[in-house]
Amino acid sequence: MMNKETVKTLQDLLVQAAAEYGDKVYMREKCGKEFSDTTFSQLKENCRRVSAFLNECTGGTKTHVAVIGATSAAYLTCYFGTACMGNVSVPLDAQLGVEDLCDHLQRADAEVFFFDKRYVSMLEDIRANCPKIHTYVSMQDVDENGVFCLSEILSNYQPMQWNKIDSESCAAIVYTSGTTGKSKGVMLSHRNLIDNTMCQDGESSTEDVTMTILPIHHVYCFTCDILLGLRYGTTVCVNDSMMRISQNLKLFQPTTLLLVPMIADTIYKKIKAAAAVKPDVSLAEIGRGVFGERLKRIYSGGAYLNPELLKAYREMGYIICQGYGMTECSPRISTGKDDDTNIGDVGTLVNGCTVRIVDGEIWAKSPSVMMGYYNNKEATAEILTEDGWLRTGDLGYVDEKNRVYITGRRKNLIILSNGENVSPEELENKFSGLDWVGDVLVYAEDDGMITAEVYPNPEYVSSNGKDAVSEVFKAHVLAINKTMPPAKNIRRLRLRTLDFDKTTSRKLKREQTTKGEICE
Amino acid sequence: MLEKLKELIVQYVEVEPENITEESRLIEDLHFNSYDFMSMLGELEEALDVTVDEQEMLNIRTVSDVITYLESIQG
Repeated sequence: MMNKETVKTLQDLLVQAAAEYGDKVYMREKCGKEFSDTTFSQLKENCRRVSAFLNECTGGTKTHVAVIGATSAAYLTCYFGTACMGNVSVPLDAQLGVEDLCDHLQRADAEVFFFDKRYVSMLEDIRANCPKIHTYVSMQDVDENGVFCLSEILSNYQPMQWNKIDSESCAAIVYTSGTTGKSKGVMLSHRNLIDNTMCQDGESSTEDVTMTILPIHHVYCFTCDILLGLRYGTTVCVNDSMMRISQNLKLFQPTTLLLVPMIADTIYKKIKAAAAVKPDVSLAEIGRGVFGERLKRIYSGGAYLNPELLKAYREMGYIICQGYGMTECSPRISTGKDDDTNIGDVGTLVNGCTVRIVDGEIWAKSPSVMMGYYNNKEATAEILTEDGWLRTGDLGYVDEKNRVYITGRRKNLIILSNGENVSPEELENKFSGLDWVGDVLVYAEDDGMITAEVYPNPEYVSSNGKDAVSEVFKAHVLAINKTMPPAKNIRRLRLRTLDFDKTTSRKLKREQTTKGEICE
Repeated sequence: MLEKLKELIVQYVEVEPENITEESRLIEDLHFNSYDFMSMLGELEEALDVTVDEQEMLNIRTVSDVITYLESIQG
């Protein structure tokens, strides 16, 4: 049985998972009409072969190895093959354009690059802009000069015997998506990732099947789908496309799911639409048709989850456990419990994590807190105190049962001329769940006016017309303002015809290139 | 194909079938969001037993593009 005493590094986790769960299927992928399965033992052996290859091409010196691509056993083989021998994995965002990709590769000092074959078309640019990279490996077979193929490595190299590695050493550099400023490379040690994996007990079991949907370079997906899967002997099925979530749910019939609110929201809209045409069928039954017969629990994180959605899922018989965290904390600070029926919190502090509230901001301390930002002492000093507290940048509080509540982002605070602070999220959340709202941003304009800018739901506009949106917007703001102290009142309304600028992870950018029209 | 597609489109967005033409743009005119659009293509994939290429999908703008693309991969 794995525990905190025996598992201290990713290497320990993988070796013990292979010993404990051996020939059980760890990762299940679609391969045409068939499944392609990888067992716990196979993953470990393949990782050792990749380590042998890396050992040869780097001369055994510590190297940064970048990996980019969709979730797959091949991806994990490259990631763990790197980290389990003491090298540093650099998982990159598969949606990056070539310019940003080169920037990340250079800033991370990557010398070896593993990639999905669709990146072959970018190789010329990468070679020209990333002179530090000396070894290129495609995770699928390609016939390209100077590129190794993973399949050849797995056939040609014998599994390497791993030496013990230091749990305090860096396992991964993970770039933050960041809605403002240039993304930063978060250095996570083996101890950080393992602490977040081992901090709770009884979260899953060998009976569980999960379907992984979120991008693998996000530490939320990596820790909660991939590492928890190794710990508990869970089978992780790969959703091969956002296009096929519904089909894949029916195919894999998962027992647990890790989602972001946007996906939970869209699935619920579909369920409601189906219910409208089948009034004699219960929502719960339609839900089972969508999620399969086995789904027990949904985890949600990454963004604000409207409590109404939580309630709607409960009515269908599904528990959404909402968690909270950030890349810099590997990522979990709090996690939802399925026996807690409270609404409005973002879960209970994970074991080993302590929190203090400083000027309204949540500061966290735990063995999961990152080593720092790679090559960026200034940014590290801004977020980490000398005695190890992580300034989360989030405003909130913790109740007597260690439940965490978020009220806004500190760095987005609107500071009014009278010295009062306004959290835009607190006001933005008052627009969630409304059928006429697509997205909303609240900010202070140069003249100090608090402005709410809405990109209306296009379906609503086409059915009801632009004037109707304008009327409902004004009425809604009036209603919100009545519940708020005058300092927090929204004084200007703007309506957009174009969608907001978003980051690659679909978060709204706080700095927009265009503004909507003022709604008089 | 257009009629079949219309039947499917109205399940995803609020639009009357008679207002859908081959020239209708999915996002601008029919108000698909990206996730709805992907879900619909996923459903078409299953119904027609074809495989949609996610890169090719980025070039699809209109109902007519959907039909042309599906016909090309149906062979």
